[in-house]
Amino acid sequence: MSFGEYVTSRWDTISLAAAEHALAVAIAIALATVIGVGAGIIGHHSPRVREMSIAAAAAILTVPSLALLTLLIPLTGLGWKSTLLALTVYALLPIIRNTVTGLSGLDAATVEAGRGMGLTRARLLLKVQLPLAWPLILTGIRVSTQMVIGIAAIAAFVDGPGLGNQIFEGLSRLGSVNSLNATLAGTLGIVVIAVLFDLFFSAVRHLTTPRGLRVRP
Amino acid sequence: MTAETLTATRVRPLDRFPLGPRHLITPAAVCVALLALYAWVSTLELDSIEQRSLNSSVLLAKTVEHLEMALAATALVVVIAIPLGVLASRARNRVAATVILTLGNLGQAVPSIGLLVLCTFIMGVGFRTALVGLVAYAVLPVLRNTMVGVQQVDPALIEAARGMGMTRGQVLRRVELKLAVPTILAGLRTALVLTVGVATLGAFVAAGGYGELIINGLKLNRVPVTVVGGVLTACIAFLLDWLGGLAEDLLKPRGM
Repeated sequence: MSFGEYVTSRWDTISLAAAEHALAVAIAIALATVIGVGAGIIGHHSPRVREMSIAAAAAILTVPSLALLTLLIPLTGLGWKSTLLALTVYALLPIIRNTVTGLSGLDAATVEAGRGMGLTRARLLLKVQLPLAWPLILTGIRVSTQMVIGIAAIAAFVDGPGLGNQIFEGLSRLGSVNSLNATLAGTLGIVVIAVLFDLFFSAVRHLTTPRGLRVRP
Repeated sequence: MTAETLTATRVRPLDRFPLGPRHLITPAAVCVALLALYAWVSTLELDSIEQRSLNSSVLLAKTVEHLEMALAATALVVVIAIPLGVLASRARNRVAATVILTLGNLGQAVPSIGLLVLCTFIMGVGFRTALVGLVAYAVLPVLRNTMVGVQQVDPALIEAARGMGMTRGQVLRRVELKLAVPTILAGLRTALVLTVGVATLGAFVAAGGYGELIINGLKLNRVPVTVVGGVLTACIAFLLDWLGGLAEDLLKPRGM
């Protein structure tokens, strides 16, 4: 069976796995964005909180994914829960780091001007600081997404969702018919998902960047 | 921005061996984790299956396999990626540089496990397959960092060195590469941590390492074996990252 025939004959399984893969990544990135941007907002005022949150997120990233996923089994079991938890914590570092860099790299005069116009702290954050830091934060989210899409493949080993299942199926039936096709379908499918996410983020970037920042030098 | 980052980086004391209490946190934490692991395992009554994995000779063998895989892959990456990165950074290779950058970004999306399994179809299972997969995976970050590191050297400095009568080779060796050292080392450290992590997947292609403990524990439903494998992998990743950080601090050219 050629690769094309394999994909058409298994289209149901593969498309479901791809959808689950994308869904798991999307949920994890959404969670990581909320946590990471929150930590970044709290952290950019005090150097201590900032250093601690970045160090913690960097430490998590050092733990190999297979190790983290299996260490989570006694706590959160097999499947979706462990997958989502692991993907979320892996996604944190780039998001926190870019939020902090974006917020503390702002022109002090702009922030001062906002303050002078009588904005409260919360409005200053929402109206001035976050919009200006947004492109950098979005880059962080994009980097995290690319990373997490690859890690999600390994989650299939702890019974997680996604295209990793195709890869492990190919591995467990090494040498038999369709094992290469299954592995290829999983690997290429993940690359396709990564490219689609990247296109999505460039569209989001284009649509959500404040007009004043859009002019490129 | 640059001026700000320059002042923001911590001012290093000028002693020969910049080892502060900050540098001791990681090894201390790793020691604590290992001791806790040992204490926990020794309170358990291990059955015969667990004993077959959790004894000092097996653990030592897995450690050696794991380190061999990660270090050999990193060494190969150094040999392959740094010269290629320097080549790609030369002005006449602009196109190659763009191609490498694009491939580097796309390559990041290829899942490591998929790459390893695909290598298996070509070369069968074993240590060599895992090595090829690891190298293919870790080459791109180092290549990219080398290229960027060499390219970002201030052209005025190169001009000055040329003006002093250095040949192109001398400029490369004495100026450009020296100034690119921090970026190259950062890339290498990333590659080392990456390969240690991906080396756990080597067990899927029968190359041994800590991944074998993790996988066996999971397949045989013996949680202690899995946990020991997982904790040991994490510890070794932390230690190598720490060593990489030390190397970065020690090997940085004096003037930077």
